[in-house]
Amino acid sequence: MPHISLTEGLFGIRSLFAYRQDTAKPLCDLADVLLHAPGSLSAGERELIATYVSSQNDCHYCQTTHGAIAACHLGGNDSLVFDVKRDFEHAAVSDKLKALLNIAGKVQRGGKNVKPEDIERARREGATDLEIHDAVLIAAAFCMYNRYVDGLATWAPPEIPGYRERAAYVAEHGYRGIPQAVSAPAGR
Amino acid sequence: MFLPGVEANPQPSPPGDLIRIAQASETEYPKIWHMFAYRPGATAHLGEFTQGIMRGECPLSAGIRELIAAFTSYRNDCPF
Repeated sequence: MPHISLTEGLFGIRSLFAYRQDTAKPLCDLADVLLHAPGSLSAGERELIATYVSSQNDCHYCQTTHGAIAACHLGGNDSLVFDVKRDFEHAAVSDKLKALLNIAGKVQRGGKNVKPEDIERARREGATDLEIHDAVLIAAAFCMYNRYVDGLATWAPPEIPGYRERAAYVAEHGYRGIPQAVSAPAGR
Repeated sequence: MFLPGVEANPQPSPPGDLIRIAQASETEYPKIWHMFAYRPGATAHLGEFTQGIMRGECPLSAGIRELIAAFTSYRNDCPF
């Protein structure tokens, strides 16, 4: 039961996007730049960072939906998403992504936890300043999205209806169309 | 700052202009400007979001909203 009155039939952050359009647009635009627009990290790697941070924040809606989007980018590999959430240091991802996930995990616990040795490890594994920058911004942004979703107790059932289909759509088209989709009853 | 590549590469943008002006006049300025100037394609959306949530239509006054932001930043031990 959400703490405020939200549109029924919408789950998680989508119910909040429908509630307040003027903040929905920049939040979706930011998600699109960070996760979907072309970048030196693949969309799958960036979605894995978002999923990992959301799982560390125990945000059911965000880790489920972004985990599904990550899996779409990774050829349907749900078990890799699961492995990253459980123990990324032993998951089948690159050493560079492990170093960036380590930084993202530190940011999730508080920005001041990121130490020079964490940055050095990422550099040693070949991460550029832009990739380190984006990993930190994805982690920080998802702490915001996660707290937004759970701070208002948005509703999402254990098995979120239609999330696989929406994940496939977002993996292909990105996040910019979401504010419009949640405001049009037919598109919900 | 951990990333010299961020500090050395302000992109053409309003915060990039502010950095240039401050540096030309040898004035101290907040280093967060470098974060906003490095990736304006992303941070412009953060600016738009901040404008919406801090100044958009809401019964809470702008002053009360800034107090909430200041209180949260204090709790996060972030002096800026």
